[in-house]
Amino acid sequence: MRMRVIARGAALAALGLMLGAAGPADSPVNVPEPEGYYTGPPRGYTPATLKGATVIDLKGLEALLPERPVLIDVVLADHRPAGLPADRPWLPTHRSIPDAVWMPGAGAAPLAPEKEDAFLARVAALTGGDKAKPIVTFCRPECWGSWNAGKRLVAAGYSRVHWFPLGVEGWQDDHDTAVARPDPAWMAAASERAAQR
Amino acid sequence: MKGPVMKRLMLALSLTLSAAALAPAPVRAGATDTDEERAARWSEIKASIFGDRKVEASPSAVTIDAPARALDAALVPIGLTLADKDSVKGLYFIIDDNPSPYAAHFTFGPAADPGEIKMRVRVNNYTNVHAVVETKDGRLLESAKFVKASGGCSAPMGMSDEEAMKGMGEMRMKFVGDVQPGKPAEATLMVRHPNFSGMQMNQLTRDYTPARYIQKLDVTYGDKLVFHLDGDISIASNPVINFAFKPEGQGSLKVVASDNQEGRWEHSFPVPSASN
Repeated sequence: MRMRVIARGAALAALGLMLGAAGPADSPVNVPEPEGYYTGPPRGYTPATLKGATVIDLKGLEALLPERPVLIDVVLADHRPAGLPADRPWLPTHRSIPDAVWMPGAGAAPLAPEKEDAFLARVAALTGGDKAKPIVTFCRPECWGSWNAGKRLVAAGYSRVHWFPLGVEGWQDDHDTAVARPDPAWMAAASERAAQR
Repeated sequence: MKGPVMKRLMLALSLTLSAAALAPAPVRAGATDTDEERAARWSEIKASIFGDRKVEASPSAVTIDAPARALDAALVPIGLTLADKDSVKGLYFIIDDNPSPYAAHFTFGPAADPGEIKMRVRVNNYTNVHAVVETKDGRLLESAKFVKASGGCSAPMGMSDEEAMKGMGEMRMKFVGDVQPGKPAEATLMVRHPNFSGMQMNQLTRDYTPARYIQKLDVTYGDKLVFHLDGDISIASNPVINFAFKPEGQGSLKVVASDNQEGRWEHSFPVPSASN
């Protein structure tokens, strides 16, 4: 898994690694946690930790599932590319961990205050207001979105936040995925509140 | 009456309602509806490409060679072997879960030897891929394979767009083995072109590089068509296509390629003849 992730990583980082000259930010083994939310390029090596949350691998996730955690997927939605001819079929689809709630872009930083409100309101609804309910945030490997989303939930007072950095890829190595549709409440709230600005 | 308070109230209500709807989510006991979902997806794609035409399952008509697990999702090698090459008119390659699933359509001409095509594609997620042969008598024969690769469509190229576009339109042709008149010969065409998918984000500006990809490519031998390719954003950057043709003696392979942004390039490659 690690090897594949590296193979897919930015060529620059991979080169740095081979030369052994990479700074900590380029290294898959020692990326420091930023003070607040991470606002750099959305793709890149992520830290091994998230203060206030538990970082889990696939085994950790499997062990947690019987507790019925709230699974929050923040993978960005595919946008129809500029320059694609109008007659080309555009049929984006997203597969995720079964029963996950997909809130595309909820891990962005900075996040507009009204979107942040909408995110937290949605999580409050999903947890039934129970701050001790286990929550798992994820996206894809080398994606900071789920780290930010986890951090946001820790800051909001959730005590059992889990970050699953392997994301959909880590899950589908061993398990089936299910087609996920953007969470309607999140999409409505995010766009309605954005429209009010 | 529809002030912010009311809106907030309605929002809270809708959130509560959908939470209630989600709360009793069933625990999955192993079996999922994955296969059914994938079949439904393929039906939807088939309809968008072939309309009402019947597509017959025929795994033997075309064999898909692809790594079960790809090393690099932005560069997945695909080999398509056609069983009855004399009856073949065209060949479609479709990557089901790519947002633009229709990856390539080859139409073969009289100078083609359509026994095998190889190319490299981008794969967005663990997915079925389909090859569909169109026969000269109008039948459509499909075959499928599951490929494990993900993130290929949006993978950044690891260089600036300017750098990726350097030398755009340059081509090379490699002939395999001795080329003898009357005998099918194999060739590999390499085209320098970033084939931007439009889904690649510039990591610094966070803008998406607009799609710029080879849309049409014609290879002719003399005045005879070898193949015409309709391409798409799923074809990997710097396209490489392996094909076979029927040399007749002296002649050249001419390649004309154009992209979706009015780029057009033309190159001719003299076919080496076995002079000994």
